[in-house]
Amino acid sequence: MNHHGGGHRRKQYRGADDYDSHDRRRDTFDTPEQKLRKTIINLGEVDPVQELPRLASDIRAANEAATAAGGPAIPAITEGFRIGVTEQPFKIPYYAALLRLLHDPPAEAEENPPTDGSPTLGKQVLEDFWKGFQTFLDKLAWREIRLCIQFFAHCTMAGLVSSQTMFELFRSFTAVLQEFGVSHGRAMKAALSAAEGLMIAGPIMSKSGADVTEIITAISDYSESMTGSKNIVQPVVRLHEQSSTIEHADELLDSAIAALYVLKSSDFAQTADSFPQPYVEYPEFGSPPFELPSVLVPPEVIELDGLTTEAGEDAQVKKEEWPAYFVRLFDNDVTPDPTTPSGYAIRSAILDILDVFEVNRKECARLLLEYPKWTLHGTFKPRPGAPEQEPVPEKNWQLENSIIEITLGSIFLLPESTYRSIYYIALITEICKLSPQTVGPAVGKSIRKLYTLLSDGLDVEVAHRFAEWFSVHMSNFGFAWVWKEWAPDVSLSARHPKRRFVRKALEYEIRLSYFDRILKTLPEAMQTPEAQCMPEEAPGPEYDYDDPSKPYHDAAQSLLSLLRGRTKAEDVVSHLDSLKNSISETAEGNVNVSTVVRNIAVQSLLHIGNRSFSHFLNAIERYLPLLRNIASGGGAGATGGSNLEARLDILNAVANYWKRVRNMVVIVFDKLMQYQIVDPPDVVSWAFAYGGALTGAVGKSTFDSFQWDVLKGALDKANGRVTIARKKVTALRKEADDTAARAIATEGAAMEVDAEAKPDVMHASESPALTNALKAFATLTREQKAVLARTLDGFVGYLVAEGDANPTAAEVIAEKSWHNRINWNEVQWGTWETWCWFRHFCRAYSPYLRNYTQSLEEASLTKIGPSDPAVDLFKKTWNIATGQDV
Amino acid sequence: MAHVVTPLDQPSNYKDSQARVDRSKQNELLARSSTLYIGNLSFYTTEEQIYEIFSKCTSPEEGGGIKRIIMGLDRNTRTPCGFCFVEYYTHAEALACLRYVSGTKLDERIIRCDLDLGYREGRQFGRGKSGGQVRDEHRQDYDPGRGGWGAQAQRLEIERRREVEERYADAQDGPGAVAGGGGDWKEAGTADNPLKRARSPDDQGDSERAAPRARMDDDHARM
Repeated sequence: MNHHGGGHRRKQYRGADDYDSHDRRRDTFDTPEQKLRKTIINLGEVDPVQELPRLASDIRAANEAATAAGGPAIPAITEGFRIGVTEQPFKIPYYAALLRLLHDPPAEAEENPPTDGSPTLGKQVLEDFWKGFQTFLDKLAWREIRLCIQFFAHCTMAGLVSSQTMFELFRSFTAVLQEFGVSHGRAMKAALSAAEGLMIAGPIMSKSGADVTEIITAISDYSESMTGSKNIVQPVVRLHEQSSTIEHADELLDSAIAALYVLKSSDFAQTADSFPQPYVEYPEFGSPPFELPSVLVPPEVIELDGLTTEAGEDAQVKKEEWPAYFVRLFDNDVTPDPTTPSGYAIRSAILDILDVFEVNRKECARLLLEYPKWTLHGTFKPRPGAPEQEPVPEKNWQLENSIIEITLGSIFLLPESTYRSIYYIALITEICKLSPQTVGPAVGKSIRKLYTLLSDGLDVEVAHRFAEWFSVHMSNFGFAWVWKEWAPDVSLSARHPKRRFVRKALEYEIRLSYFDRILKTLPEAMQTPEAQCMPEEAPGPEYDYDDPSKPYHDAAQSLLSLLRGRTKAEDVVSHLDSLKNSISETAEGNVNVSTVVRNIAVQSLLHIGNRSFSHFLNAIERYLPLLRNIASGGGAGATGGSNLEARLDILNAVANYWKRVRNMVVIVFDKLMQYQIVDPPDVVSWAFAYGGALTGAVGKSTFDSFQWDVLKGALDKANGRVTIARKKVTALRKEADDTAARAIATEGAAMEVDAEAKPDVMHASESPALTNALKAFATLTREQKAVLARTLDGFVGYLVAEGDANPTAAEVIAEKSWHNRINWNEVQWGTWETWCWFRHFCRAYSPYLRNYTQSLEEASLTKIGPSDPAVDLFKKTWNIATGQDV
Repeated sequence: MAHVVTPLDQPSNYKDSQARVDRSKQNELLARSSTLYIGNLSFYTTEEQIYEIFSKCTSPEEGGGIKRIIMGLDRNTRTPCGFCFVEYYTHAEALACLRYVSGTKLDERIIRCDLDLGYREGRQFGRGKSGGQVRDEHRQDYDPGRGGWGAQAQRLEIERRREVEERYADAQDGPGAVAGGGGDWKEAGTADNPLKRARSPDDQGDSERAAPRARMDDDHARM
């Protein structure tokens, strides 16, 4: 048996080998073009500068061989460059140097240069590369555009590209900033393309007398016009301030502008200190440079599907991009200051690696740790064990801290990160695995710094992502965190952000692991119930009717046995009816019998399905008719219909049953919406009306992160449904058009068919499927509007409702109060948090809000009281989010 | 972006060995699949833990989310046997897991994710001889999160133990219970019968139970 086992394993092993060797075999069949391309892409495996001359002569040889065999290899060479430049941006300066070498006449031709005046290999490649750039431009592939411009800028420095035409290229991009109604996303990308190019090519431009100020001013004028938007996406919140610069964070475009001003003040002397320029070692290029053709940045193409809501509102979602604030965690001598030229260059390069290598986080981690190889000597401290070197003043930064700071900065971008936060979280895990001794301390220090920032106004959504990162990270590293340093903070107010963080981080850790495991990781002082760090007991359900002494125990037991016995839903419904009658006969005082029965029914259903997520799904799927009956508010005879009270009762029953496992509340709500027992607007109403009670809401009305989770679930559900409905309509329309086109083609088969004939002129009659899809779309956009309206209404009620104003709402946004926050109580912290969630709602759902601004305002903003600081802040936030503040 | 590195969301060599569709059809299905096979789970990991980590790859605003989780069970004991299926509403969410979750830890084990053709009746059960997963059938290491030794090793262990226990069931105590091993050479044809084993009186103190136990410990160490 043992032997057999071993044999089996070996066989599997061979299987894996076969798989690999299959790949390798394919590699050996590379065509010469593929080989050439790969050689170019692999530039710098050992030492890029040393490899360059050799690589250049290899390319020449390959090209000659290809020419002899039929056609030159220019396309393959250019493709190698294009892939290298756009997919390995850290190599761009070296590709410029390589191209410079390819501009030299071939070695053997040096004595008798070609008389036919044919262009050098390098020039041919550059011309071809330019065509590729135009393709990127036509597609508005911004990352590729920006990286190609960096490449051209280096080529300008190497003398290969005319500095005048390069300057004109920058102007084409800053022209975008003056376009009427330009989106911030487009403007920012265009501005960064020009700014980064100018940082690199600045020295030669300022020498040739080009007006670089024009470029810088254009960018900085644009940036200043965005002050309003900046305010609501800052990761460190100052509700009383309107400044676009803040401590502990910096805005991407503003950093670029600051770096440009520094460069300009010294005539770009610092460029050489910020970007590698391997080509300066080569003799000056004497021939005329390549003149970049002039370009226009094409306008954004928005595909209009013409779908509107019944009220004629444009329901298409245009994702708006916001100014990008990156949190700073370390001092300028530990990690580079991004508002300086070299600091900006480093951060931009690391951000590009994070972006390009998102498809493979393991490779991304490796490349990040290898990044110093591509930087100027002395940029980062040498790795431990590497030969000591004289530190370069003002540099000598810590690589690991820089990587972690920038990666965390990317997670914390508001309103949302470029990729899901789990990408960056998993990436940090990989970086730690590659070099635990050096990365571990950087992670630890980042956590401590962020924890400190919690008292200084770290945005609630950022704090939420911090807790998420912390818990997943710890889950990957044995939950080894030294909690005891935070133990003294249990004396802070229960709603102080630090205490909220500890509770939340532990709650998330428990979800990924289990209660006892996490309890063991805490010092005793934090384990006690008084410390309120951990829940009092392991998460579990709370069935109201378990205890025989509790009211309705018997009624609940009888129902449970029916459900366990899989009694048919209709029989359970009639049982509930008789239950209702018997309870109302015996009920004393002011009991809402319907609510009681609904609570018994829903809790009992959850009870039979409480063993796992699947058990829960099975239980409710089996009893959907029962749930529908309850939701419609009726007894046996009820036939659907709408009953908000009944649906809120269902949600309350769920929340009570899972009160100790709040993520289960969110999960169950999600499925109740999925099965259409309740609708997203019900859940929004519940979040504002009852959501706070579950977590012991304090004061008049405060909105916390649990309520946010519930709210977000409902908003996303409603928006997601509209997305699906739109896709369906589009697909059906296309299908109808295709059918019509085929019909025309068949009709005209005998004649010459004009292939260009547009079939959509005759939309024909809509198919029943399309009619239904359009009807669904109308219903769902109505629902979408309803969730947004109820949310806005909810926040108005919490913060600024006329005649019912929340006095604390105005208090906590005053500067004086903020500076006294050390004395804030739970109500004040809770209200501050409410403001933050309102801001987050506005910025996160702004693309949706913009479609319905007018009707939402008519419905909700009219309930706002007269102008006061709270009302003004509320309206200002709303106006910024809906684009009315520019 | 596949020129420089291989994306992690490319299909791996994972396959359903009992799928009845041909390879190209399978690839076509995988290119649209929103179901993941999750492997190397601890037997103790719950659906809620799985939900928690996999919900980090959902995109509800696109109409996505976790549709369901199907826990892999031992065919015989109906207990979790270390795998599951996670089904999303969209393909993109499944791909995101391959990039961000596969190869990270859940419940302190590194889990793996693979695109799956989709759940079919019966696939929730282990296909190993012993009811669990095939990989646990022949596993040679001790894995506390997956029921200790592999099923075969466990069976082997039980058989060995039984052999060991039966082997000395006939042991006796008292003088003559333990063999002496033969004495020095003696001239044949003396009064003693040469075929009869000689016993040395001072051997008798040895415990006969100690040896087998030591032997078992050895076995543990080897496995």
